[in-house]
Amino acid sequence: MRRIIVEYEKCDGCKNCSAACMQAHRETGGTIYDLDLTDPGNESRNYILKDEKGRYKPLFCRHCDEPECVKSCMSGALTKDPESGHVFYDETRCGSCFMCVMNCPFGVLKPDRVTKSKVIKCDFCVNAGGEPSCVASCPKKAIHVEEV
Amino acid sequence: MKYVIVGVGVAGVEAAREIRKKDAKGDILMISADAQIHSRCMLHKFIAGERDEKGLDFTELDFFEKYRILWKSGVRVKEVCPDGKEVLLDDGERIVYDKLLLANGADSFIPPVGDLRKASNVYGLRNLTDAQAIVKEAEGAREILVIGSGLVGLDAAYGLLERGGKLTVVEMADQILPVQLDAHGAAAYQELFEKAGVRFVLGRKASEAVCEADGKIHKVTLDNGEELACDLVIVAAGVRPSLACLEGSGIDCERGVTVDSCMRTSKEDIFAAGDITGRSGIWPNAADQGRIAGRNMCGVEAEYTDTYALKNTINFFGLVTLCVGRIRPEEGDDIRVKEDRTQYKRVILKEGKVEGVLLQGDIAHAGTWQYLIKNRIDVSGIEKDIFQVSYADFYFTGEKGEYVWA
Amino acid sequence: MNQCYGCSTCKSADKPLEEFIAGLPMETSHHRVEGQSTKCAFGLQGVCCRLCANGPCRITPESPRGICGANADTIVTRNLLRAVASGSGCYIHVVENTALNVKNTAKTGGEIKGVHTLNRLAELFGIEEADDHKRAEAVADAVLRDLYLPEYEKMKLTEKLAYAPRYEKWEALGLLPGGAKSEVFHGVVKCSTNLNSDPVNMLLDCLKLGISTGIYGLVLTNLLNDVVLGEPEIRFAPVGLRVIDPDYINIMITGHQHSMFTFLQNRLTDEDVKEKARKAGAKGFKLVGCTCVGQDLQLRGAHYTEVFDGHAGNNYTSEAILATGGIDAVISEFNCTLPGIEPICDELWIKQICIDNVAKKANAELKEFDFENRPAVTDEIIDEIVEAYRARRGHVPMNLLKEHGYENTLTGVSEVSLKKFLGGSWQPLIDLIVSGDIKGVAGVVGCSNLTAGGHDVLTVDLVRELIAKDIIVLTAGCSSGGIENCGLMTPEAAKYAGPKLRAVCEKLGIPPVLNFGPCLAIGRLEIVATELAEALKVDLPQLPLVLSAAQWLEEQALADGCYGLALGLPLHLGLPPFVTGSKAAVQVLTEDMKELTGGQVIINADAKESADILEGIILEKRTGLGI
Repeated sequence: MRRIIVEYEKCDGCKNCSAACMQAHRETGGTIYDLDLTDPGNESRNYILKDEKGRYKPLFCRHCDEPECVKSCMSGALTKDPESGHVFYDETRCGSCFMCVMNCPFGVLKPDRVTKSKVIKCDFCVNAGGEPSCVASCPKKAIHVEEV
Repeated sequence: MKYVIVGVGVAGVEAAREIRKKDAKGDILMISADAQIHSRCMLHKFIAGERDEKGLDFTELDFFEKYRILWKSGVRVKEVCPDGKEVLLDDGERIVYDKLLLANGADSFIPPVGDLRKASNVYGLRNLTDAQAIVKEAEGAREILVIGSGLVGLDAAYGLLERGGKLTVVEMADQILPVQLDAHGAAAYQELFEKAGVRFVLGRKASEAVCEADGKIHKVTLDNGEELACDLVIVAAGVRPSLACLEGSGIDCERGVTVDSCMRTSKEDIFAAGDITGRSGIWPNAADQGRIAGRNMCGVEAEYTDTYALKNTINFFGLVTLCVGRIRPEEGDDIRVKEDRTQYKRVILKEGKVEGVLLQGDIAHAGTWQYLIKNRIDVSGIEKDIFQVSYADFYFTGEKGEYVWA
Repeated sequence: MNQCYGCSTCKSADKPLEEFIAGLPMETSHHRVEGQSTKCAFGLQGVCCRLCANGPCRITPESPRGICGANADTIVTRNLLRAVASGSGCYIHVVENTALNVKNTAKTGGEIKGVHTLNRLAELFGIEEADDHKRAEAVADAVLRDLYLPEYEKMKLTEKLAYAPRYEKWEALGLLPGGAKSEVFHGVVKCSTNLNSDPVNMLLDCLKLGISTGIYGLVLTNLLNDVVLGEPEIRFAPVGLRVIDPDYINIMITGHQHSMFTFLQNRLTDEDVKEKARKAGAKGFKLVGCTCVGQDLQLRGAHYTEVFDGHAGNNYTSEAILATGGIDAVISEFNCTLPGIEPICDELWIKQICIDNVAKKANAELKEFDFENRPAVTDEIIDEIVEAYRARRGHVPMNLLKEHGYENTLTGVSEVSLKKFLGGSWQPLIDLIVSGDIKGVAGVVGCSNLTAGGHDVLTVDLVRELIAKDIIVLTAGCSSGGIENCGLMTPEAAKYAGPKLRAVCEKLGIPPVLNFGPCLAIGRLEIVATELAEALKVDLPQLPLVLSAAQWLEEQALADGCYGLALGLPLHLGLPPFVTGSKAAVQVLTEDMKELTGGQVIINADAKESADILEGIILEKRTGLGI
């Protein structure tokens, strides 16, 4: 399967990946120039964390081989696609129990900020042809896609 | 090879998927009392009218075809005969198996108080049939009484909010959600439920309930003498493993069916998974048990090791809560609390390790807590506010770009 | 859940304040630090350029030049020059208004409160007018004339005010500034799109702007203010949130232009105005000091004991001051008036009035300072504040923190009052330095920010480290506000000093940290340094004197810093000024500057390490002087 490989040493914390992710998943059309960065409904699926020494540690969904989120999903909303290997989320089936949030050992998942009824989950930009927008936007090439 | 699985809950379903993965040719038969597959965690959505029966299915739309499974629904197993390697159904059929999985779950426990067990308007909330009956009974019910304020009790109350009846919840403990939350976190939910019109009677239990001529209970008397009128009673006082069909089978049982780490029972070729084992049957664990059982039924050795089950998430009225580990403080604990108008967070630390966490209002990225707690990770060396500790502090990537805990 | 706005606020050196802010039901800047904690490294390094439509361009190993071809050195120094020009513009605006106010006061026969200062300036400028008012007008005119000169004509007063060896150095380096306003213009032009690309050339412009900023914006603003507002006198005064007395109508003042408050200050103690307050149910009016103009008022507080309650806190304390509920109005005229106070003012019905258009706040009423009509405008402002008082009191909850701060903080220190305190000569101080009882002098100046460890954290920690090493600390700016609220400016703080400095402080009854007041008073520190150098017959870089703008915040601070470098002083910064992406800029600022002016930039965010470095420099300079 194809996975986004992270080289955290290269990350400069510019959050371009987050902006690109918001852009890729915004509900209204438009360009990065008019992406409303004040709208709480625009949420990124990737995060730049900092460790105790202040180093940036990018947190991106791994689409795990044995995804704990899928294992804990009681509604069938989260499934691992047998072909691509990616973990997809069907919002319409989701029961909003957030056991996936609890069970993701890396803390990637979170409930949506506004309605607390959905899970914010990387979809590998499947609607944009399966080429992750974050990867395309990283000026430091700290993330790239690799067949693993 | 003929695999027989009793029950179509998550343990049974996961076992079937796993068996099909390992054995493309074997016959799989699933037997269930349930007329359709459904997620117990979403029954309240059915009661509330948010979802229909189909909307509760947690499997693929073509689950049985996709995994080439035969399914006998609407029947119960009456008897298990390990010696003859067969099960007897309540419709009289005898089914022979090579490998048998008992995943037929548990039944609501109705306490032996007065006529609760025999009245026609008293329900547990465990199966879709319960939910269907509750919806029917709730039509025209003016007073609805829920006994127990655990997750199931509150699920029932939440589902019934819009059904018209006046809701009263009775709880033995002096707070709601006593197993899941501390008093402070519970009070937040209590307030939300009360705002929605629910009345709570805390620190009380039912002491008398008499069936009237119509076969129903119309009032329940509490241990302080208070009488609560009711047209419908939902009892959410826990569940008991469904062991009735195992009588005389010789399969070892304690609270539930005794299993080893491979989910094997005391009888050869018989496995068990999920609530029937009496081990904590919260969803992710039941699913895991099912998968482990399935693998072993195919002769692939696997052990159920990730048994940690002291964990829950709660979501009512958009207020989300996550609790993992110990809830009750003990002497010698280092308790850290942060609270503001949008969230309440509490961590219990002992000797540098997190023993319990409770997050209310904001549970974003909270998955790491479970890992920290169940693996007893020492966090004392991390020079950060404990609430800021994240996977970043344990960050490591493996050869395939997977995250690994460093 | 409780009522706190958010439970993750940044640290503060001022622990009671930290606790107070964490418990507030409204958002403050301290709450916002966490959400802004992931900083873009391109921005941090100064290698993001958005000067043209091809941008933003950012420097990476794969793309070492912007589309136009600008490399990291050009982008960084261009950004720095922009910031310095902008910061200089701010101070030049301040001195321009101050000079105009002195001129107008003089022309209308207003009160000259600081005749000594007037005489000092007139003598320096070579003005011989017998009449006080005429002399003041001529002094103000001389300043204004210089400010308005074109860039190609050098300002006249630079030579009169600068220390001679420095002036010669600047002249040799081609750093003498033309008209101060024109220099800002020149700087802004220079760093626009596709003009200058020479990093050293632009850095030299930064120094030139530093000189005009320092001599005019800093030194002269102080002295001109002294002329009309009175000279600082050493005394003890209360500081912190304790100064807010809810029995009065309280006006918080923010900004940098003390002379704009001259008329209002006097008016608030007039009987007819006090009567207005009494009718509304208050005992009278009080000004509550905040930011640098508060420091200015504190500095000259001896002249305003009736109307001035004390200095409550610095820029990043302003939100907390308002959140007490005890403030009825904010009058602002310049920075550092945070936009973050606006929602708090709205929520607590606090009237916001701006008297200078350049600092117009979104929800404030603009009542521009108008010298000619000041009686009418001032009365209008007073009436509106009384109105606000009536409307809000009783409706808005009080959340006072009476125990915050200190009662006996030493203030009123200036180049004149300190010398007077020492008996009219610097010799006692020089003797103490020579004997080693005072190892050296550190000017811990500039702003307060929230990111160098938290609110005033690095500043206060550094001061503690320095005094423990027997280095006396002189302060100016918002750093003063933080340090005084942490108790280091009371005589009792002598116990935190090293044994030698402690003995000196205890003998004199002074704290080991002396507060010169607002950031403008960096100019006063420079006068002290110059007079010490004169007495020792050495140039400034030879003195055992270091500067630290540990928690610099704004563009103004960068212009101040450039002045420090032009003076040849070592300048410590807690956080780099967005220059680390350019090897050339770093080399010039931290190394080559030593040869150029004698100064150097030291960037270090650790208090202990920084103190060790600064101590090392002081010891080197002592060795150089043979002491």
